[in-house]
Formats: sequence, structure tokens, C-alpha cells
Amino acid sequence: MTYNELTRRHFETAAHAGTLSGSGVRRGAAGSRAMGTWVQFDVRWRPGAAPQTLDAVRFLAFGCPHVIAVADWIAQHAAAAVLPGLPGLPASLPELKERFAVPTDKVGRLLIIEDAWIAAISPPSPVDVSGKA
Amino acid sequence: MAGCLTRDGAFGNPGSLSHEYGDVAHAAVEAARAEVAAAAGALPEDVVWTSGATEANNLALFGIAHYYRSLGRHIVTLRTEHKAVLDPCRELERRGWRVTYLDPGRTGVLNPAQLGEALQADTVLVSVMHVNNEIGVVQDLAAIAAVCAAHGRVRLHVDGAQSIGKAALDFTGLGLDLLSLSAHKAYGPKGVGALLVSRRRGVQLTALQFGGGQERSLRSGTVPTHQVVGMGAALALAAAEWRAEVPRIARLRDRLWEGLTALGGVLRNGAPAQSVAHLLNVSFAEVEGESLLAAVRPFIAVSTGSACASAVQEPSYVLRALGRDERLAESSLRFSLGRFSTDADVDAALLAVERALARLRRIGGARQP
Repeated sequence: MTYNELTRRHFETAAHAGTLSGSGVRRGAAGSRAMGTWVQFDVRWRPGAAPQTLDAVRFLAFGCPHVIAVADWIAQHAAAAVLPGLPGLPASLPELKERFAVPTDKVGRLLIIEDAWIAAISPPSPVDVSGKA
Repeated sequence: MAGCLTRDGAFGNPGSLSHEYGDVAHAAVEAARAEVAAAAGALPEDVVWTSGATEANNLALFGIAHYYRSLGRHIVTLRTEHKAVLDPCRELERRGWRVTYLDPGRTGVLNPAQLGEALQADTVLVSVMHVNNEIGVVQDLAAIAAVCAAHGRVRLHVDGAQSIGKAALDFTGLGLDLLSLSAHKAYGPKGVGALLVSRRRGVQLTALQFGGGQERSLRSGTVPTHQVVGMGAALALAAAEWRAEVPRIARLRDRLWEGLTALGGVLRNGAPAQSVAHLLNVSFAEVEGESLLAAVRPFIAVSTGSACASAVQEPSYVLRALGRDERLAESSLRFSLGRFSTDADVDAALLAVERALARLRRIGGARQP
């Protein structure tokens, strides 16, 4: 399997991997390890800002390099961005597929990422998950 | 090999004995034939050159099946065989033969009694891999040959592509009927191999290709002198040095395994006590297989337990046959050690795997569902 430069970079750095805690953090996950792909997003809303503004995003992912890279890219681009199209991803699935050169056989994994993302950001009301890792 | 490709060397056609150029090439081919035979404990006249072990396996399976079809149409093999045996078996099934695929269980080692129970009145062929290419398990050929001999007329084919230079192999002494060999598994050139067909045991085959009658009419086509000379030299070297090499390689393999064990969540595949020194197959828990391979790939050359038949990798059928679940079968690495492996290589491998595991397990949140 070969990966494009963007996929390699985000897979190798995965700078936004991790979890968030504290008030205003919401968590969503989708998939399962047993099925080979599992993704979790933690999002923190910016206090006092517009409801669509995220302060920080972190992810965890059990999956192939494409899954890790796309999740990392989403975490990077969603944070501090105003997302007019909530609860959608910062980029559409076809855009992500093309940007990361995701093989067609793996498109189902992008859907898992999307499910995890939607679960994390909707409903937008913050839920405190501090100490509940 | 290079000397067989230039005008001042053995560049003639070894099948053209009407001139001296052909004589020189023919002599080189026959010298190589003797080297290959000696390395495997066979007679030179047993050796039939092929393009590799895949062709040798195909010639053995189709050749025996068709020649002895009036005696029966049943074949016995293992689920853990190489695709070069399993795919011809599938094709023979499509053509009307019956194939029994034995399950060697968690160790990967075939129980000879299990083989005996599988043999039927119309069984004409048993095909077994000597050293498994994924997990390194060594089958007990003497016991398997004894079961076949007790049956009477069943022929025993052994895929020995991984054997030369790794384990003791005595074609004649073991009473094997057919043996597939490959040059490149013993540091020889790619694109050449051999099928050993026992003359003493009167084994007959139906040829698969025609036109020239070379190789006892079993494999028509001009013999590539440079390739077979390379194979002869490689196998002669391997046969001469393997006993001295194995202890050193086994020590490196054991060091590697001890280091991997310390990383936690690692499982060794196959039966350690019945495996060659050169292979170590390990499954890693709590990490995804494709990512593991991608993470170590810039630093070490290893094989994954997965087969990349499409964009989505499939877990190894060999490991699945051993009872590994899909995730562990997928997240396995096959470490191959050899003549040129060093302690520094082991250190590099351990460092690469340690870093990859730590990173991927952190990204994957090892304690999550």
C-alpha cells in the first residue's frame, strides 16, 4: 500500500491525537476495534463564543494510516474554525477521499470517521466528561 | 552466472550439442544439476529445471493428478500451504478432483495420524510444505513419508522452497517422490527453480508444456544456463554452510523475540520448538496491522501477516488456520533473518517496533473499546 504525502505526514505526526477533559468537552465515537476501525473525537466549545466555534479537538483512532491521517486532519482544521455547516465535517467525504487518495474499498472507513465526528458535535450542548475517560 | 552471458563464456544453447559452444553450456548445466541434487540429497537425473517453485508445484500437482487419474482423483494437502499449492488444488477441484485440506491446528505442525485418517482408496497425492514460509514451522517429513508408504500407492510431493539452507533435507533418504525448490530462497537468482522427480521410485508425470522435449520431456524450453548455474552455486553454498549458520541466526532470533516480548501484548505464531531459526512471526495486540507495517516500514524490511489482494488488506490465511482471530492475524509481522543479519539489525528492528507500538497504541487509546 502506498500513501500520498498528505496521508504520510498526518499519519507520521498525528499531532492532534489525544483526549480532552474538563467542562465544555463533548466526546463521540464510532466503529469498533473488532471490526478493524474505531475513531473517537473530543471537542471543546469556545466559551462565550458563537455556538459553532470549537476551541480544541483531539482524536483517538484504531485503524489504517488513512483513518489516522484523516482524523488528524479533521482535528487540526476543525479547531478554532467557525463551522457554518454543523454538524458536518470540515470537508466533504468526496473531498477527503480525493485529498488523501483514499482507495474506494476504504470509503466505509471515512463514514466511520464522519459518524464519530457527528456524535461528538451534535447536539451542540456541552457535556462535562472530566474524569470519565 | 555472468560468464554464461558473454561470448567468451558458456553462452551457447545447452541443448545444442552439435557444436562446442553448446557442449560448454551443457557441461555447465549438468554441473549445476549435480550441485542442486547434492544439496537436496537427490540424484542429478531427478532434477527438472523450472522457472521457480511455483512452476515446480504446478508441474507436480497437475502432472501427478493427470498421469494417475485412472487410479484416483483425491489429493490431500494442508490449509497452511503456499498459494502455489492451494491455487492449483482449487483448479483441480474445478476440473473434477477432490481435495482434502487438513487443519494443522494451533501449532501449524501436521499430526501424521491425522494424515493417515485423511487418505482414501483413491488418494493419489499428498502435498506438504516442509518449512512454512510464513511461520517457519518444520513438518516431520519422515513421519509423513511413512504414512504415505503405508498407504501404498500415494505419491508424496514436498514444497521445499524454504528448506535448503534452513533445515536438513534428504530427498532420497526420506523416500520423497517429488520436491519443489527455488533458487532465490537460498540467495540464488530469481526466476529459476527445480522439481525433483524421483527416478528410483518410478514417479511419472504428465507434462504441462511441449516443444523441444528438454528436461526428460517434462519441461520443454531452452534451459537458461546462467540461471541454473546461479542456482547450483547458491544451493551448494547453502548446503555447505547452513549447519554452521543456524546457531548464530537462532541466537539473533531469540534476542529479537526476547526484546519484542518486553514490549507487551505480543504473541508468537507457530511452534517455536519445531521451527527454523530464520523466521519469527509475531502478532501484536492493540494495534492495527496496516498502520503497524506503515510505521516500521521506513526503518526495517519486514513482511506483514496480511495479504494485500486489494486496497484493503486481508489477514493471513495461514494465521487464521492456526486459530488467530482476524485482528491478530492482521497485526502480525514476519521477521526474516539470514546470512547477513547482525546484532545491529536486531537492535534496529526492536527500536522501530517499540516506537511504532508505543505511538500507535497511544493514538488508538489502548484502553478504549
